[in-house]
Amino acid sequence: MRPAAGPAHHDGEQSLIDDTGIVVAFYILAATTVVCALMVAFVRELIQAVLFLALTFVGVAGIYIVLSADFVAVVQVLIYAGAVAVLMTFAVMLTPAADRRNSETPFWGPALILSGLVLAVIVFVAYDTTWHLDKGRGAFPATAASLGEAFLKPYVVPFEVASVLLMTAMIGAIVLTKEDEGDADA
Amino acid sequence: MMLSLLTIITGYWFDIRDLSNLSRKIEELIGDAGGPDWLIFVVSGLLGAIGIISFIGGVAVINIWVERRVVGRMQSRLGPNRLGPFGLLQPVADAIKLMQKEVLQPATASGLIFTLAPIMFTVPGIWLTAVLPWGRNMTLASLDSGVLFLLAASSLGALAVFMAGYSSNNKYALFGSMRVIAMLVSYEIPIVMALLGVVLFTGTMDLGGIVLFQEKYRVFMVMLQPLPFFIYFISVSAELNRTPADIAEAESEIVGGYHTEYSGMKFGLFYAAELINAVVVSAIISTLFLGGWWMYKLDELVPGWMIYIGKIYGVYFLFVWTRGTLPRFRIDQLLAFAWKWMTPMAILNLVLVAAEVLIWEESGWSAGLLLPAYIVINNALAVVTIYGFMTLLAPKFQRFPARLRFYPTIDVPSLPAVAAVDAAGGGPRAS
Amino acid sequence: MPIKSAPVEVNIGPQHPSTHGVFRMVAKIDGERIVDVKMVVGYLHRSMEKLAEERTYTQNIPFTDRMDYLAAMAGNLGYCLSVEKLAGVEVPERAQYLRVIFNELQRIASHCMATGTFINDCGAWQTPVMYCLRDREKVLDLFEMTCGARLTTNYMRIGGVAFDIPEEFLPALDHLVNDDLPYRFEEYDQLLVGNEIIMMRARDVGVVTPEMAINASLSGPMLRSAGIAWDIRKADPYCVYDRMKFDIPVGYNGDAYDRMIIRIEEMKQSLRIIRQAVHDLPDGPHKTDVPLALRPPAGESYARVESPKGELGFYVVSDGGPAPYRWHVRAPSLINLSVLKEMTVGKTIADAIVTLGSIDINVGELDR
Repeated sequence: MRPAAGPAHHDGEQSLIDDTGIVVAFYILAATTVVCALMVAFVRELIQAVLFLALTFVGVAGIYIVLSADFVAVVQVLIYAGAVAVLMTFAVMLTPAADRRNSETPFWGPALILSGLVLAVIVFVAYDTTWHLDKGRGAFPATAASLGEAFLKPYVVPFEVASVLLMTAMIGAIVLTKEDEGDADA
Repeated sequence: MMLSLLTIITGYWFDIRDLSNLSRKIEELIGDAGGPDWLIFVVSGLLGAIGIISFIGGVAVINIWVERRVVGRMQSRLGPNRLGPFGLLQPVADAIKLMQKEVLQPATASGLIFTLAPIMFTVPGIWLTAVLPWGRNMTLASLDSGVLFLLAASSLGALAVFMAGYSSNNKYALFGSMRVIAMLVSYEIPIVMALLGVVLFTGTMDLGGIVLFQEKYRVFMVMLQPLPFFIYFISVSAELNRTPADIAEAESEIVGGYHTEYSGMKFGLFYAAELINAVVVSAIISTLFLGGWWMYKLDELVPGWMIYIGKIYGVYFLFVWTRGTLPRFRIDQLLAFAWKWMTPMAILNLVLVAAEVLIWEESGWSAGLLLPAYIVINNALAVVTIYGFMTLLAPKFQRFPARLRFYPTIDVPSLPAVAAVDAAGGGPRAS
Repeated sequence: MPIKSAPVEVNIGPQHPSTHGVFRMVAKIDGERIVDVKMVVGYLHRSMEKLAEERTYTQNIPFTDRMDYLAAMAGNLGYCLSVEKLAGVEVPERAQYLRVIFNELQRIASHCMATGTFINDCGAWQTPVMYCLRDREKVLDLFEMTCGARLTTNYMRIGGVAFDIPEEFLPALDHLVNDDLPYRFEEYDQLLVGNEIIMMRARDVGVVTPEMAINASLSGPMLRSAGIAWDIRKADPYCVYDRMKFDIPVGYNGDAYDRMIIRIEEMKQSLRIIRQAVHDLPDGPHKTDVPLALRPPAGESYARVESPKGELGFYVVSDGGPAPYRWHVRAPSLINLSVLKEMTVGKTIADAIVTLGSIDINVGELDR
């Protein structure tokens, strides 16, 4: 199966992305991710939904690895599956047990239409973009180093702004949960 | 022995010091025969994985014996000595016992999550063994961001613990898992920053690269960075739920914590996962701080992976030692320790390391001049920092030791009625 | 916005590795803080006080072993003192010295166990327990040498002790008290008293104020840790304690840590008493002859001893027959436990477990 045939596609050369192993891996990972994402929406128990979400994150990390972005993949697991999923489980735990079901809602029609539209847009953009394909089996580029350079040279201002934003969020969380005696529960 | 068999069979010479030449030979064979590229990766990956996983499986079994025997000796008793010579078959007996136990699952526990939790707890530990450098060219997956991979895999453990505690539908289990998550999340920050100090110094996140750095400059990282070693050792004891930080499975308080309701092989998986994690963490400490497979040219005589395994067990002995000796902290004391002691020390260390690396890069002085100076400075600062924290932050009662008063005689106050009777000459005190 | 949380009722015990027997606490906790504590006792009630009414006075002595089974000699002694007061029986000198020696040995054994299990509750994964139990084993060996039993010794009789000591007893005791145990207690000092983690776990935990102690009629190490110097051996001496020179350690803070070091110090003072008793041990009979079915004159008596747990008192009422009319035991564990609620409310569960360990209850005498 060949990926998107855009105008700048180089054919005739055996590029990395056509390797059988990579294709197989991509399809397995993509299938897992999509199935887990669907289960998030369809299971009844909220805790199971959160756990399927964690699995979706891990699947996405796998797709990053297929694209040889190892740093991004690892950071995805570390932050999303390791921290965001835990945060969501805590949030679910603090909801009363009665509200903890993925119940029927009348909004499934509009939601389906909206997600269909989003899907159509993404597919169109994916077909329309000129993707640069990697020729041959080169060494893995050092993603961490290049990301670091990008953060500190062209994109330093957004980086600092994001840090300030995170600090504000942390301070806000502490202020919100601070009790009178000054001890907050786990 | 296997390698000598292979030598005889294939006629090629396999050097035991570098097991990767086996996979390179296979690469050549398959490549020469015109096989597809991915087959080479699959085969060599599989070989390496099988080798490592069999080692890890063996470790999980042997460590049961090591831990119980060593802790027993520390408690001035023998430890298991009935099954086999020196009790060496004890792990086998434990494994058989766990396998033939009835797997009791509470009816109110959610089935899928209950079963999935021990698996999710074990698997990241096994993932971590893929990035460890067992020898000079012997890393199964030489990731550029190896150190980050370590952190990512350990953060998945927190989710598994929560799943275990929640799905047991048991108040004690829930307590245990809440405590554990609070602790795991708090101790991730000192871990990250301690490792970051090492990564800053060596300039690479690749674990093999860190060992090569230590080899190139002939220095163990622990000499250059004592404070991260100290912080990492303590924080990772907390992450592994080992005493003094095993509040999650505090037997004397909440019976089992998050694995109260597990029995049979599921509990066996939790137990094995703890041991595997302990060994993997010892391996990480050996790689990052103690030089991995490199030991001042000893690795030309002895295979690198044997040195590595020796160091792993040395660090593991440190873990067992602290477990056998120290009582455990309360959860709020542990969290206070993480946030008030470990994190500031780690940040201080990071600032210092960044300054040192900057001086090294910019000034162009040779490493032979700078590194000894750094060793002295870092060690001195580590001692000063720890001592400073102890005097400033320690609770007051530690500076004033306990005193007791001793009374050789006491005044017995007498009630008025008794005094009257005594004065009149009667009563039991009258002789 | 405040998060609504409801307190949860958690059952600690009766089957629990660390409630020192079948004792149940129903704790209402809010997060990690305890809001309310209810104690449920009686799981080991064997109605000894009623059973005793059918048996003669001498047949009741084994009951006293089994009440506080970790301090059997103290129970025996208290009961025998009470009946001797009732019946007016004279105890020979040698018997009194032997009683003192065995009482103090029992105090060492019981405090070893108490300290060991207390640190086990603090979480030290059984290593200090093993060290403490190793020393207790040596004392129990001496008991076995003399009366044949380690735990339920049944050694004291009305009018003296049951058996005289064998020849190998005094050399073994000498070796233990002079060559062995002092160094062990030094080891405890180094390992346990200065241990910072134990200090952090046990300081300011389970605090007993002096007023609370006197109002609740606490006794034993709990009372002395609050700063009140009161020991029955000095205040109301029995046997030959008035001839012995020893100190009683008294604490400042009233917390669990003070109790632990008081117990270790009391063990050292016991060694002092044993040395003096062995030095002054006279010859003579070890028991006066009392009839098998002793019929003391009608009346009542109360005798108390300083057992390792506190003031153990025996109130015996006789109606002239061979069996006691009524017998009541003032169990220190039950009375010491009555302040549990004040000590633990507002603290965490881990602190409650440490507090319970430091009170050093024994469910045998709690429930009788």
